[in-house]
Amino acid sequence: MDARIDLNNIGFDFDLTKRNAGLEANGATAPKATKTGTTIVGLLFKDGLVLGADTRATEGPIVADKNCEKIHYIAPNMYCCGAGTAADTEFTTNMISSQMELHRMSTGRESRVVTAMTLLKQYLFRHQGHISAALVLGGFDVTGPHLYTIYPHGSTDKLPYVTMGSGSLAAMSIFESRWRSDMERQEAIDLVKDAIEAGIFNDLGSGSNVDVCVIEKGKVDYLRNYARPNERAQKEQSYKFPRGTTAVLKTSIRDLVQVTEDTAMDIST
Amino acid sequence: MAPSLKSGEVNLGTTIMAVVYDGGVIIGADSRTTTGSYIANRVTDKLTKIHDRIYCCRSGSAADTQAVADIVHYYTQMYQVQHNAAPTTQVVASLFRELCYSNRNNLMAGIIVAGWDERVGPSVYSIPLGGSIHKQAYAIGGSGSSYIYGYCDANYKDHMNREEAIDFVKKAIALAMSRDGSSGGTIRLAVITEGGVERMFVPGNQLPTFYEG
Amino acid sequence: MTSIGTGYDLSVSTYSPDGRLFQVEYAGKAVDNSGTAIGLRVKDGVVLAVEKLTQSKMLVPGSNLRIQAADRHIGIATSGLLADTKHIVNRVRDEARSYRDIYGIPIPAKVMAERLGLYVQAYTSYSSVRPFGCSTLIGMVDEDGPQLYMVEPSGNFWGYHACAVGKGKQVARTELEKLKLADMTARQAIKEATRVIYTAHDEAKDKEFELELTWISDETNGRFERVPKELVAEAEAYAAESLSAEMDDDE
Repeated sequence: MDARIDLNNIGFDFDLTKRNAGLEANGATAPKATKTGTTIVGLLFKDGLVLGADTRATEGPIVADKNCEKIHYIAPNMYCCGAGTAADTEFTTNMISSQMELHRMSTGRESRVVTAMTLLKQYLFRHQGHISAALVLGGFDVTGPHLYTIYPHGSTDKLPYVTMGSGSLAAMSIFESRWRSDMERQEAIDLVKDAIEAGIFNDLGSGSNVDVCVIEKGKVDYLRNYARPNERAQKEQSYKFPRGTTAVLKTSIRDLVQVTEDTAMDIST
Repeated sequence: MAPSLKSGEVNLGTTIMAVVYDGGVIIGADSRTTTGSYIANRVTDKLTKIHDRIYCCRSGSAADTQAVADIVHYYTQMYQVQHNAAPTTQVVASLFRELCYSNRNNLMAGIIVAGWDERVGPSVYSIPLGGSIHKQAYAIGGSGSSYIYGYCDANYKDHMNREEAIDFVKKAIALAMSRDGSSGGTIRLAVITEGGVERMFVPGNQLPTFYEG
Repeated sequence: MTSIGTGYDLSVSTYSPDGRLFQVEYAGKAVDNSGTAIGLRVKDGVVLAVEKLTQSKMLVPGSNLRIQAADRHIGIATSGLLADTKHIVNRVRDEARSYRDIYGIPIPAKVMAERLGLYVQAYTSYSSVRPFGCSTLIGMVDEDGPQLYMVEPSGNFWGYHACAVGKGKQVARTELEKLKLADMTARQAIKEATRVIYTAHDEAKDKEFELELTWISDETNGRFERVPKELVAEAEAYAAESLSAEMDDDE
């Protein structure tokens, strides 16, 4: 009859994770998940906030998808950019989105950004960094606009402008030099576009197009492929070879199929 | 196994500090948060409110200290309604100790709890890595603290007044920031007294300066 | 009890048509059959006293304690089924330890009474268990001064200036009500408690009893302690004197 909870016997069991680490140390190779080298950003402006993302998904050195979507839906007033393992960001944001919808149904109130942030950080902390999701969460709720970064281990930061992913350094250099408080909507969108493009052009893991999402009070504009800085340009010359470039030395035509005639079997009755 | 930062984990390579003075307590911290060599946040607030007049200063893993602070915050809210009274700083420190000690193999959290309560007035508790608890007149913590033990011991006085105490904390943190690569940015301060909490901020270009070589 | 035999007293999870839980009431009867336990909350402390009826002269004095420590500052006096009281004391000790572990300070009386009340109540809600056949007096000095609570078999609890349970509770309560508890010191309360126990003791029904006497006061530095032999002797002398004086009055 102990009135106390034994803290060592609750929560998750990471024994198998430790085993796998041991196996890998002894030379075994674990299967690799698709990690997206990514540039994702977010910033606050006068009337709301803007989220941005590139659209490249990679599998090691291969570009797996040239136009993927990294700005995930959480709630009608809230979106979330994801970097890290594509499966983890996709699943995590989907799950939280579903929990937020159920929460809206039971409370009859608009979702709050802190709620999603708390759910996300507690979920990621529970898994001790094994869920590889680095997120930029932004939304506009009854208390105003909010922007958070959430790291895979479950720590969060609340800042007026943020970047994440492998291209975050390139993107942050743009924000650090040009972000001001109380920017106009179009200025903000342009700055986000430039930050993402900095990632696209200077980070190997990021590439292709710029997705933008503008969230204001009671209004969301999801601008898919807002900029396409890597459009295939018209080739300056035609590189087609004219007919007859290669000389015909010999012609030989053979039948590959033997066609025989027979009476057809009657299958009707 | 001793806890260590996991790869890619966000670190509060930090300088934190709390000092009791006559009538209250001053807490302070730098504002740098790092992931490896990158500064993930240069204006971090490492002074986290637990109750109306009780704060904690966080050092170690950002994820771990945030999670622990959130849980203790929840416990103190429960304490408030169950006891119909505010918890004392000692109670809050004890909650931190319980969590930090029982999960010592999985946590990287060095915490200083400071606050004002009806029973004893201002007090400071330090809960370093293993989960032990130490009641102190002043406490320093985080990677930057190593550089200022001497300064603090030389300059701490009992019964300082508010201005002396603020000055002491400001200078100590500025010294640590100038020598510790993982500490830097700005100084965040809070003065906790019976009357409430007053937050202060020293921008990076207005830090106290010392010998710069 | 008019409803006895109607079948509504068989399970603690069934109400009688007039909204009573007979098993809980019967548990109260188990307490009423036990030796009297009293508690006095005075200005500088708490005194707990028990009339421990001894079944046999061969029993070792001081065994089967009915007042026990649950923490350095908590005394628990019980009345009712002895085996049940031991379980309760265990629970109170667990709660005291758990609170100390988590909050780093001694548990306040109200919180302890609340937690024990909750625990005891749970045993009045399931058909698979029976309610506890004991009432518990919790005496302690906490941050807000001396405290006295009593938890009943139903799980109900109240704070008291003085309370009495067991065989002689009626007599004891009448005596306790006459006392000016707010002006009394614990040292004086020891004498009065002893007198009350001797007054409540029914010579005709029960021959032998052992007086258990404990206190928590400024004199014990807020700790739960058994009353020293000299003080007990002094108190017993006072009680005997008062009783004989009463006898004389009656004559």
